[in-house]
Amino acid sequence: MVAVSVQQVTKSFGATKVLRGVDVHVPAGGFAVLVGPSGCGKSTLLRLLAGLEEVTSGSIRFGEREVTRLEPRERDIAMVFQSYALYPHLTVRDNLAFGLRLRKTDPAEIGRRVDEAAAMLGLSHLLDRLPKALSGGQRQRVAMGRAIVRRPALFLFDEPLSNLDAALRAQVRVDIRKLHDQLGATSVYVTHDQVEAMTLADVMFVLNGGVVEQQGAPLEVYDAPATRFVAGFLGSPAMNFIKATIEDAGGGGLRARLGDGSANLALPPGLPARPGQAVEVGVRPHDLELCDESAAEIHLKVDFVELLGPEIHAHCVLAGAPVIACLETRTGVSVGDTLPLRVRRLHLFDQESGRALR
Amino acid sequence: MIRRRTAARLALAGLALAPLLLGAGEARADEGDEAATIQLWHAYRGAEEEALQAILEAHRAAGGPPVETLAIPYDAFGSKLGAAIPLGEGPDLYIDSHERLGDYRVRGIVAPVGDAFEGEAAFRSNAVQAVTLDDAIWGLPLSQKCVALYVNQGLLKEVPATLEGFAGLRDTLPEGVFPLAYEAQGAYVHSALLGAFGGSLLGPDDSFGFVGDPAVRSLNLARALIDGGVVPSDADGALVTNLFRGGKAATAISGPWLAADLEGSGIDYRVELLPKVEAADGAPMRPLLTVEAVMLSPEGAKRADVRALARRIAGPEAAALRQERARTLTARADVPLPPGDKLLAAFAAQAEVATPMPSAPAMRATWEPANRAIKAFLRGELDAEAATEGARKRFDDVRRPLPPPASPTPLLIVVGLLLLYGAFSLVRQVRSGELVPALRRSIPAYRYVAHAVITVGLLVILPLVVGAATSLWAGRPETGHYVGLANFVDILTARGGPLLATGSFYVVLLVTLLWTLANVFFHLAIGVSLGLVLSRPTMKLRGLYRVLLIIPWAVPNYVTALAWKGMFHRQFGAVTGLINALNQTFGLSIEPIAWFSHFSTAFTANLATNVWLGFPFMMVVTLGALTSVPGDVLEAAEVDGATRWQRMWQVTLPIIRPTLLPAVTLGAIWTFNMFNVVFLVSGGEPDGTTDILVSEAYRWAFTREAQYGYAAAYAVLIFLMLASVTRLGEWKAGRRAAREAAAARAAQAVEGGGH
Repeated sequence: MVAVSVQQVTKSFGATKVLRGVDVHVPAGGFAVLVGPSGCGKSTLLRLLAGLEEVTSGSIRFGEREVTRLEPRERDIAMVFQSYALYPHLTVRDNLAFGLRLRKTDPAEIGRRVDEAAAMLGLSHLLDRLPKALSGGQRQRVAMGRAIVRRPALFLFDEPLSNLDAALRAQVRVDIRKLHDQLGATSVYVTHDQVEAMTLADVMFVLNGGVVEQQGAPLEVYDAPATRFVAGFLGSPAMNFIKATIEDAGGGGLRARLGDGSANLALPPGLPARPGQAVEVGVRPHDLELCDESAAEIHLKVDFVELLGPEIHAHCVLAGAPVIACLETRTGVSVGDTLPLRVRRLHLFDQESGRALR
Repeated sequence: MIRRRTAARLALAGLALAPLLLGAGEARADEGDEAATIQLWHAYRGAEEEALQAILEAHRAAGGPPVETLAIPYDAFGSKLGAAIPLGEGPDLYIDSHERLGDYRVRGIVAPVGDAFEGEAAFRSNAVQAVTLDDAIWGLPLSQKCVALYVNQGLLKEVPATLEGFAGLRDTLPEGVFPLAYEAQGAYVHSALLGAFGGSLLGPDDSFGFVGDPAVRSLNLARALIDGGVVPSDADGALVTNLFRGGKAATAISGPWLAADLEGSGIDYRVELLPKVEAADGAPMRPLLTVEAVMLSPEGAKRADVRALARRIAGPEAAALRQERARTLTARADVPLPPGDKLLAAFAAQAEVATPMPSAPAMRATWEPANRAIKAFLRGELDAEAATEGARKRFDDVRRPLPPPASPTPLLIVVGLLLLYGAFSLVRQVRSGELVPALRRSIPAYRYVAHAVITVGLLVILPLVVGAATSLWAGRPETGHYVGLANFVDILTARGGPLLATGSFYVVLLVTLLWTLANVFFHLAIGVSLGLVLSRPTMKLRGLYRVLLIIPWAVPNYVTALAWKGMFHRQFGAVTGLINALNQTFGLSIEPIAWFSHFSTAFTANLATNVWLGFPFMMVVTLGALTSVPGDVLEAAEVDGATRWQRMWQVTLPIIRPTLLPAVTLGAIWTFNMFNVVFLVSGGEPDGTTDILVSEAYRWAFTREAQYGYAAAYAVLIFLMLASVTRLGEWKAGRRAAREAAAARAAQAVEGGGH
């Protein structure tokens, strides 16, 4: 169990800068998730941690140990690959034992650890199979087992669930978190799936364009996104954004004139905005709530309705901008209705910098 | 409208067909006139061919019938004649060397010339003797060829009177110049020495002649010449030419062909009689005389116009023309030599003291044993008596009586039973009522594959069956008889000799296995190593290296084989040059290696050549296989703690192994049958020990009395061995695949049932 500390790391492939100065700190025993869209540099950062790529500048420390220039095998890590990367010519048992054999571990000890890991992952009856005779989920578990038997100080996961079907993914997600809690080793997990990021992480790093846009506990990041990008990336359906201009509402209050100017929204007090500023108002679909006509802050006309079971997604237009509202099914909203809505919570972003105003 | 178009088409078709029809008419006219056209085959090129055409034109101008000529390569002449004449397709007359007459006569493709012969007085007596078999004349002598002594006048004024006298020249000649160059290791030139002692290669009653006192004394003299530095060792024909042309030999024993090679060399030479031999009481060396003759096929001999043409080709005007145009020495006694042509005069004088080569078929069986005996003796492996006795045994072995005809009854019974079984199962299927509807259903499919089936049948299956059937026969194709499995019994019992003697099937098989294993090992080791090196993406000029390393594969392998054979030459090869350079640079004294004198070095030379030829294939296969190694698996191994070396041995190689296996099987089969390298580099030297099964089979078919049945039995054995080993491998692979498929199905079932 080690703390991971990445300081001012950059990485370039030729002229392409993939990481532009990244700082990441994971406490010992923590579960960190690197999340972001494709091409944001999250996988590269993971490969730098593994030692499969060399940093262009900056340093990486595991605990007190400087590992920036060490070979992968000197770093005491284990990695689970997206494709699982099982040794196709070895049985499950030999796949699990491979790393231990290379380290000349005592055979009896190898046997014990392999059996233990296999039992933990439900692989005991598959030990003599070759990888090609396994299903996708079984292969994924072998890849996990191969990491576990090594008892490394740090686990690295490179999108380990993306090749599984949805149902299996939800289950393995839970298994991974349970395993982490059971083993107690530090884990760094890369994904582009914000649900995985939210559910797994102790601490979450949202990467975009080679920099960390925001870090923190998942809920903290979800509730208080620091930038428009983070706000839009997390949450499903995605946050609604409406371009707006700040106006003085009189009485010391401010309001936002939305979109084409056909609607206004009063702003809560204390926001660091000034009249005339070009902003984007962000409202999560779940933060729109049906209310009495009297209490309504805005009115939306329903264009289209998606029925999901427990809730419905009402597709509407507000001042020329598309807006989705997530409402309870029993409200019985249908196409053509005009909905009186209350905004439970709104986010304000500067149009120019994209930074949250709060 | 339509009708008009049809008519136009018909007219066009008629126009197109008209020439064909006219042509056919013409062809028919030719057929009617066929008796008048004479077919003539020859192996001439260059000036000799021009001279022949001039003679034929003269014949035509004198009112003779038209002659069609066909030039056939000398090496293929005999087999083409043998194939064509019995079918009535061959020539009416042909020009060939007299020593093949005995063979042709046995095969019935030559007839006595009858009234075409002008009488003995017209020709030189040696030439007449050469074409006489059992008191009949079987060919009209045209020209005579034998070896004589070429003298470099720039190096030597006075030629010693005796062969022994050449030793005295060493002190007067410049450093590095041999007094005499000749093919000491070959029986052809050696027989001139043997002749001086009164011996000959073929003894009375077709027995082996290279034994006894003359053989021993001639061999001892040859060795004395080589040991005394008078004659270069290991010289072949090309080397003799090069030495004399390069002024490195004061004299050379060679035939008229050397004169052609000396054109433009600037060497001032003359030709003289071969020297006398002091040890043989001053008797002259007697080279073998080859007489070129016009021969008549049995059909041609019946036609007066063919005999007349033969007579003209052998006539005095033609002989004079040939002497003038092509400088060939005439066999006629009544045609004077061109005045001032000293070369022809010298060869004419030498022909008088030459011995016509025996034309009995047994003569051809003397060469291989005699050559081997000379080589074994000159290498110092055997003394002269043992070497020549061994050669006689080998000759007798090759000439051993054919196995007695066997009753074909067992074969017929087996074939009959098979046919019966086939018929029985066919009837059963028809009666079960499934066959006919199944056949009817499949007829469209058969239409699609018919052409492929017929082609494969004609090109693959039929030759295979004919080859296999040949192994049940013995003797020449024309005179052979069915012997059952006698050939196989002979091979597998080493013809009654010791099972582990040189040349026995088992020893050759062992050598072949050793050869295959060693080659495949090196092919694999070098090919895979280079493949691994060249697959590294960081390497610069990777494409260039790949191309360079594939070149050995792209060069035709006989070219490579000949180049390597040259490099391994003991005196003049590149390897010896390297050793000399090392010696000079570092003051060492490494002896040049006589590569083909010992099994181990000759085998190594073959091996080096074939490894050079074979590694690019494995390299290319490896490069292809490496693309199937996933990069992340290697990275997983890296994270797991594997070093570069461990990744190669424990991940990369096991993953590419299944891809390499078929290539290894293929490479093993190719190597097992790699005739070219063995035949061209070591040629089985020393003493046939480096021969592998295919080259041994080749020798039985083409250098040992045309024992096609015996050679075919070898081929069948090779086929059976390779086929069974391959089937065994396939069977094992098939079982493994079945096991894995079962496991995969089990996994699917588990997945289907949830996790």
